[in-house]
Amino acid sequence: MAAKKGKLTKVLDHLKHEDPFSKGVAFCPGCGLELLLRFIPQVLGNDIVITGTPSCSAPVLLGQNNQSWHKLSYFGTLMTGAAANATGLARYYKKAGIDNTVVCFNGDGTAADIGFGNLSGAAERNEPFIYICYDNEGYMNTGIQKSGTTPYGATTTTTPKGSISKGKNLRRMNLALKMAMHKIPYAATATLSDLDDLAKKLLKAKEAKERGFVFLHVLAPCTTGWGHAPENTIEVCRRAVKTNYFPLWEAVNGKIKMTKEVKKPKPVKTYTELSKKFVNMTEEDHQILQDDVDYEFCILGGLSQLEGECQLPVSAED
Amino acid sequence: MSSNKYFKHEGPWSDANDPLMVSDTGDWRTKRPIVDKDQCIFCGFCAIYCPIQVMEMVEKSHFKPDLDFCKGCGICAKECPKKAISMEPEGDFQK
Ligand code: SF4
Ligand code: SF4
Repeated sequence: MAAKKGKLTKVLDHLKHEDPFSKGVAFCPGCGLELLLRFIPQVLGNDIVITGTPSCSAPVLLGQNNQSWHKLSYFGTLMTGAAANATGLARYYKKAGIDNTVVCFNGDGTAADIGFGNLSGAAERNEPFIYICYDNEGYMNTGIQKSGTTPYGATTTTTPKGSISKGKNLRRMNLALKMAMHKIPYAATATLSDLDDLAKKLLKAKEAKERGFVFLHVLAPCTTGWGHAPENTIEVCRRAVKTNYFPLWEAVNGKIKMTKEVKKPKPVKTYTELSKKFVNMTEEDHQILQDDVDYEFCILGGLSQLEGECQLPVSAED
Repeated sequence: MSSNKYFKHEGPWSDANDPLMVSDTGDWRTKRPIVDKDQCIFCGFCAIYCPIQVMEMVEKSHFKPDLDFCKGCGICAKECPKKAISMEPEGDFQK
């Protein structure tokens, strides 16, 4: 007997626009980045211009030979100047009076490391575009090297497991928090297990970019680099949220608000057990990672409770 | 965007008047998702989470993957709350 039909997920209501990508594109099966890239224009519309750098996204966004994989406009830049190039584009559209959304779409290598200087500069100047960092916690396209957002204990090709090295021995940076502290109109974290939350944040981003710089930090697991089963990509994201490894929040002018409260956070091990990159971690390593996650979350929790208390200077309001 | 009559939209390398490039990603598959339409409650979770966005709605009753492009990642099967999708070895479908 046929099961009773339920209600369609409300996420589908956010997908109002065409998917501009060709159906068969060169991303790995189970790639988090592919879902994110197809999701953005379906929510924001196809009248966006994407700029980005050499990365896993570039072969698809840039096209090959004389053909393209999608119908959006794309501007390929260097990693050192991604946000500076997007600045030029955004200013062009403003000057020309063209209503367009510039989306500067980069991995964590560009956002957290190589292109951080000009990202920070664009945020400080409050340039009117959306910067999205898809965070796969490393330089995946060049062969899985560690980046500033690679977490403690993770094995990469530059932090391998060997007789001396036992994975990354440094803690990750918190890029989103750093960006929120630029007091930009909108900053947020999101991930692929919570697509309703992601869609709402994209729409808020589009609206907030009228007031200036927007930063979105999206955790996008990489099956190849992390070594999780392709079918687990969404589950990895879900557990990242449920362990507070990757809390979901947003910040308007630097005021932080949690967008998803996790009642009883699970130990970070329930997140790490899905990916081979954490397989070499000892109990002790796990404790260090857990402490780091707790520490970051404590800071975030403290900041989010200040929400009503801090008054934005009148001069900063528009 | 442009008023230039030669451009429909501006592509990265070309004028993108050519058809989009397509890879035969259906050929990558090692496992094939099979939807049991009787189990399906038409919630759409498989469709939203499919990275390739190839889960198609069939007559407001169930979803079905476009096997020409489905890469066989198994996310749809894993995320389906009713376990209505099973992943079967692709070899079983070769004659
Ligand atoms: S997730 Fe499962 S129950 Fe929901 S629409 Fe897809 S096949 Fe049907
Ligand atoms: S197996 Fe993967 S690619 Fe194929 S329909 Fe399911 S989620 Fe989509």
